[in-house]
Amino acid sequence: MTARTLNAPGLRRTWSSIFETGLGARIYPYLMVLPAVIIVLGVVVYPVISGVVSSFYDVTLRTLNNGTVTFVGMRNFQRVFADPVFVKASVNTLIWVVLNVVAQLGLGLALALLLHRAMPGIGFFRSGILVPWVVPSVVAVLTWRWMYDPSVGIVNEMLMKLGIISDYHPWLGDTATSLYAVTVESIWKGTPFVMLLLLAALQLVPRSILEAASMDGASGWRKLWYVILPQIRVSFAIAAVLTFILTVNNFNAIWLMTEGGPLNSSEILFTLAYKYGFQRFDLGMASAVATMLFVGLVIATTLYLKLIQAREGD
Amino acid sequence: MSLATASRTMPAPRSEALRRTRTPKSLRKVLTYTTLWIAFIWAVFPFYWMIATSLRAKDEIFQRPPALVPHSVTFQNYIDLLVGAHFWQFALNSLILTVSVTLISVALSVTAGYAMARHRFKGSVALPLFMLYGQMFPPVLLLIPFYVQLRYLGWLDSLYGLIPVYLSYMLPLCVWLMRGFFAQVPHSLEDAARMDGCTRWQAFWKVILPMAQPGIVAVATWVMIHTWNEFLYASTFILSEKNRTLPLGLSGLIGQYTTDWGVLMAGGVITAAPILLAFFFLQKHLVQGVGGGAVKG
Repeated sequence: MTARTLNAPGLRRTWSSIFETGLGARIYPYLMVLPAVIIVLGVVVYPVISGVVSSFYDVTLRTLNNGTVTFVGMRNFQRVFADPVFVKASVNTLIWVVLNVVAQLGLGLALALLLHRAMPGIGFFRSGILVPWVVPSVVAVLTWRWMYDPSVGIVNEMLMKLGIISDYHPWLGDTATSLYAVTVESIWKGTPFVMLLLLAALQLVPRSILEAASMDGASGWRKLWYVILPQIRVSFAIAAVLTFILTVNNFNAIWLMTEGGPLNSSEILFTLAYKYGFQRFDLGMASAVATMLFVGLVIATTLYLKLIQAREGD
Repeated sequence: MSLATASRTMPAPRSEALRRTRTPKSLRKVLTYTTLWIAFIWAVFPFYWMIATSLRAKDEIFQRPPALVPHSVTFQNYIDLLVGAHFWQFALNSLILTVSVTLISVALSVTAGYAMARHRFKGSVALPLFMLYGQMFPPVLLLIPFYVQLRYLGWLDSLYGLIPVYLSYMLPLCVWLMRGFFAQVPHSLEDAARMDGCTRWQAFWKVILPMAQPGIVAVATWVMIHTWNEFLYASTFILSEKNRTLPLGLSGLIGQYTTDWGVLMAGGVITAAPILLAFFFLQKHLVQGVGGGAVKG
């Protein structure tokens, strides 16, 4: 930096002059970074390590009170695997993630393509479609719970008017529909953000490329497939990873609508870990599930990002 | 870059608008607007329904079939909410927590983000990436160590106990986003300030910070919104009624047997209002910030 040559005579003297030369200059960037790094080490790194470690210890309220927390090896994991609810929750997590990711990306892309074009009133539609993203998640979930109400809910009424169902149905109270009913809310809430990311990406696609494609006589579908999508590939990949992470970690929707019930029909691994931890107070078992989720998240994300990078190298 | 990538990673798009080359222009227009209206109503309806419910009289709420438009408008639910319950207390708690977490996150991430964007030092490349990954740790994994620690410190069921917890959720991404904003401020400005005899700190404080203001506003808004809305940690660590935050207070209105949906929806409107206001005032900054950083919703 040119500044280095300037810091001699003409400089006004203030307390901050000590960072201009010598030791002060060398530690300056570290001093700026240090507070944030210390806090992050304390509130992110330490807890993560501690969380993984505690999955190998028998942490319960009793052992915490007695101070008799002991190492138990893989026993927490064995107990988790032996629990039939764990299998159920794993399958549900898979369904939950696949449905959410596919629907949010598909709908998000469709909306982004629609809203990308310059048309009268497009700003109005764009603002409206962003509403689910802006409404606080707890408020949104409770509103949907009210809309699903089995006796006076508007969802039942509308579906009956449309002739889709013949009588009111307890969407959240039926083991066959609970997971899917929550999924609908989650798609409603998550799609606008995907749309926003893809819309930002679309706006960066150079007009000249689109025009060139039009002159070649490419039809809409072909243009989308061979021209637009390759251009926004990276943003699409980022959106996919984010949707995946946010869905795995979406606790509010399930907890505030069904608490994983009825009969664990909408239990996902997150809510199961939560129940182990804060209903049974078996924090060791909860840590075991959380650790598996964590490892799964890291592996899936890393693999996916590697895959994209490899393709990019083609 | 291969075309196969696109076909393998993309789900089939089903937008009506894409068929446009095969359909006549006027029909295409009608289809586009129809689709937009359907999407709009789908997105906005639950929000409308919340407001409509909050304005209904109690006997109308439980009327079957429900009417799309309230027969008469009453503010009784809002009055019940604000007079009864501890709703003011919840709002105050949320406010205190939101202001503290936002101030701390912004203060710490401004300096760290700036140093990472402008200075070369050991870790200046690895640290930002590390911050980004810090955002990926699932909250459920952090929940248990936090519980054990807060319990050990005697900070369970306290608002100040939630501050470090929320920082874990906010700070890494704040630093990452700030770094992005500072990287966009031209170097020449800083050099000019130094030429005029500013120290490094003065150049940062008096020249760079004001330039980066839109970014700072975006990050601050992002933190405010997420702190205001947070539910999982608050519901786990807050036990007594007087320490509840708004989202927690709201969920507490769900009764075991019956729920007063009118009052609950009124609470929803009040909880959502500041966020919606903030969003519509700051829409431009916010969308840039989140879209530009491309990280989390």
